Amino acid sequence: MISKNLTAASTKPIILGILKQGNSYGYLIIKKIKELSGGKMEWSDGMLYPVLHRLEKEGSIKSKWVMEGDTRPRKYYEITASGKKVLAVEMEQWIQVNSVIERLWNPKTA
Amino acid sequence: MFNLEKAISNWLKLFQKHRAFNHGSIREMELHLRDHIDDLISEGHSEKSAFKEAVREFGDIKPMAREEYWNLTLKSNLNAAMIKNYLKITFRNFRKHKSYAFVNIFGLTIGLAIVLLIGLFVSDELSFDTFHENKDNLYRVVENQYYAGQPVFPVAVTPTALSPSLPAEFPEIVKSTRVAMDADQFELGDSKIMEGGGIMVDEDFFEMFSFQMIDGSIPSFVENLNGLILTEELASKYFPSKNPIGELIRLNGEDHEVMGIMKNVPKNSHISFKYIKNFENYLASNPDRANNWGSNWLYTYVQLDPTAVLDTVNNKIIGQIKANNETSVTDIYLQPLTDIYLGEVDFTVETDRKGEMMYVQIFIIVALFILLISCINFMNLSTARSAKRAKEVGLRKTVGAARNQLVTQFLTESIIFTLIAVILAVVIVALLLPSFNQLTSKEFNLQMLVDPEFGIRLGIIVIVSALVTGLLAGSYPAAFLSSIQPILTLNAQNVTIKQGAGLRKLLVIVQFVISVVLIIGTLVVYKQLQFIQNVNLGYNKDHVIYTFVPNGQSTSFANEVRNQRGVRSVARSNRHPAYVLSSSAGFEWSGKDPNETLLFHYMGIDEYYVSTMELRIKEGRDFFHTDTSAVMINERALEMMGLEDPIGQTISAFGERTIVAVLENFNFKSIHSTIEPIIVFMIPEPSRVYIKYDPIEEENIAATLDGIWKEFFPNNESDFYFLDKDFNELYEAEQRTSKLSTYFAILAILISCLGLFGLVSYAIEQRTKEIGIRKVLGASVPKLFVLLTTDFTKLVMISLTVSLPIGWFSMNKWLDNYAYRVDLSIWIFVFAAAIALLIALVTVSYQSVRASIRNPVQALRSE
Repeated sequence: MISKNLTAASTKPIILGILKQGNSYGYLIIKKIKELSGGKMEWSDGMLYPVLHRLEKEGSIKSKWVMEGDTRPRKYYEITASGKKVLAVEMEQWIQVNSVIERLWNPKTA
Repeated sequence: MFNLEKAISNWLKLFQKHRAFNHGSIREMELHLRDHIDDLISEGHSEKSAFKEAVREFGDIKPMAREEYWNLTLKSNLNAAMIKNYLKITFRNFRKHKSYAFVNIFGLTIGLAIVLLIGLFVSDELSFDTFHENKDNLYRVVENQYYAGQPVFPVAVTPTALSPSLPAEFPEIVKSTRVAMDADQFELGDSKIMEGGGIMVDEDFFEMFSFQMIDGSIPSFVENLNGLILTEELASKYFPSKNPIGELIRLNGEDHEVMGIMKNVPKNSHISFKYIKNFENYLASNPDRANNWGSNWLYTYVQLDPTAVLDTVNNKIIGQIKANNETSVTDIYLQPLTDIYLGEVDFTVETDRKGEMMYVQIFIIVALFILLISCINFMNLSTARSAKRAKEVGLRKTVGAARNQLVTQFLTESIIFTLIAVILAVVIVALLLPSFNQLTSKEFNLQMLVDPEFGIRLGIIVIVSALVTGLLAGSYPAAFLSSIQPILTLNAQNVTIKQGAGLRKLLVIVQFVISVVLIIGTLVVYKQLQFIQNVNLGYNKDHVIYTFVPNGQSTSFANEVRNQRGVRSVARSNRHPAYVLSSSAGFEWSGKDPNETLLFHYMGIDEYYVSTMELRIKEGRDFFHTDTSAVMINERALEMMGLEDPIGQTISAFGERTIVAVLENFNFKSIHSTIEPIIVFMIPEPSRVYIKYDPIEEENIAATLDGIWKEFFPNNESDFYFLDKDFNELYEAEQRTSKLSTYFAILAILISCLGLFGLVSYAIEQRTKEIGIRKVLGASVPKLFVLLTTDFTKLVMISLTVSLPIGWFSMNKWLDNYAYRVDLSIWIFVFAAAIALLIALVTVSYQSVRASIRNPVQALRSE
């Protein structure tokens, strides 16, 4: 299991990363995260929404309600241009952290 | 049996406990849960276990609420986008409902324009004498005189010897100056012009007050007994083309040297002057006056040490005059400089520039009332139209608008409306300024807007009033509209929102109460003014023109005038009939209680005065040409002297004199005061000449008199005044209030009716179908008319029952200020009620009639 703190810290880049691949709504995003982590990231589903709403307020993503045919209405989220920039910054930071850890633990490969 | 829908709805209720979740986000959670449950069921779970599992995975709601709550406090781009949307919707609504927008904005504009005008007026009134740097330490010394059988007699002037004694004896008083009013004949080259507005002052004057010098030096003025300081006005009048400093000019035959030029006295100074002379010069030619403690004739101003306590100083100086003059009945005290202009005490011999706190207060109250009326309009119209907006609110809520966002939206809207109204109001104020100046005798101009201090003050007034009005007017619609349940508006067709109708009615009642009170006020002020102008003064002020004749020549001048065509009679006196301010307590008669001090006013006249001014003799005879030691007293004086048989008794007043007549009481001061005792002497060569003329000669009389004046006094400019005009000036404040209150009442009614008009239009619009059906079923036009008007007429009737007693009570209080007052006749109230009812009825009728005569087909077809 991945610790709570680490999960919380990685939420933002993960959500942005998922949305970068295409628009999605809350339930699907959760499903995707669970799928990708193989169930190792401990999430309560509900905690996703405050994060989504915050990202929207910060302008990294935007949302719209979509109703197609007879299906339920869904609130789709889409990454914005500024969201992509935020994601780029996050990626760089994670890579740096990653490389520090790599060098420490696998000095040979580094 | 497990009920999935019920379980979900119970689960959703957990979210509603938290303010952090809005409709939109709760819906989002719901959909999430349903998706999850569907997936779980398709994996083989039962409904119950799928629900349990989904809820478990969804997690605890509390930490989510906490997180969402933090989000609420975040500033965001979204907000900016929403504000943009609010603006868009506002302007769309504006375009779509032009008449509604017009009524709303027009009402607010008028309300704000009045608030701005009154704001200008009031802030100017309150700014009097505040430009002096030492204003907080400057005081005027004033007197309370006590006479037996009379109320306290407050006097603003003091004796000559008082001023120098104060700093000499009381360390708290650091500076002191006398200010004596003066008038001189200015002689330069061939021209001789009488100038009023001179003052004689002591050295400290220039250090105490902040009147601005432009040129010249004060020390040289102080050293030079014949020094003279001119204001710009006189400097450019007498020396248009050269620097006046060092020039000589003759004042009453004595050469004076111009030592300084001062800026014209600001409009908001209670001390006003055109030129300044040295008080030492006066003392040099009147050395006996220097130690005079008995005659009150000049103003004394002092400057206190900043650490001094006013009450302590007052306690020390109270007996200063009595200590130096055994017979005195006068106490003195200090009046703060900034309290003088709007002071409540009615001093005898007050300066010309005197305001009335009462009027300032009345205007402030009226401004607030009118603003309130226009805000009520706004509230009523906005909430009345809320049914139309309900769908918008419902939709906004469904897609996630929180209540506070809706409140923001409606407040934004009302502030936008107010801002538009403010801009229009400023334009209106700019256009109205000239007439407003005339009305209030102020000098506001548009350049003042640029003046940093005044402009900022005005800017603050504008911004504050816009915000207050916007918030006040928008608060109720915002609270009301944002509380609408979305389900009501989106589900049902044609919902009518009845909520708030009661409050709207209440607000209409408030509006009409205010309007009717203003109407009553206007009528009473008008009647009182008429009454004052026509009240039996005890003499006849009409068709009298008067002038001042140079020393000792009034007899020959009067005799010549008497022979002219159109002149009925000519009389002379030494006082203005409406301003007899000289008084003395030094009169004696046999039987007088030696322990009592009684104050009598006195004036000097000639043998024609009583008949010319139409004073009435109660007993005794008029003065004869040959009388030298005769006096007349008025009824009030007789009462106070307590003489049984006054005619023929002697009285010691500037020598032994015999009472020859008792005059019926007449008014020789303001109508505000009751009649006081007066003694009338016959004196030789009084300098004021009063000419009673034939009314048909009114147009020629001035020219005729001018011709004679030129023969007699070729070197002096002539000045003739009409007595009834003076009288009007005496009651200028009342006339001003009367005019202003008339305008205010008209506007108040107009704004109220505007609001009523809007409400009626709305109500009828709502009932279009009902009216159509009633018509089809056979209702007649008159019946429909009655149906539609009754509701609103009822409101006006209710407001009448509230406003009439309020009007009666408040006007009685106002009239208590007057010694002579009209009775509040019932007709004033009947008339006010009738006007209000009539105007309201006309307003309501227009729409009602239109609705009742409309073809029902149109009404029923409208869908």
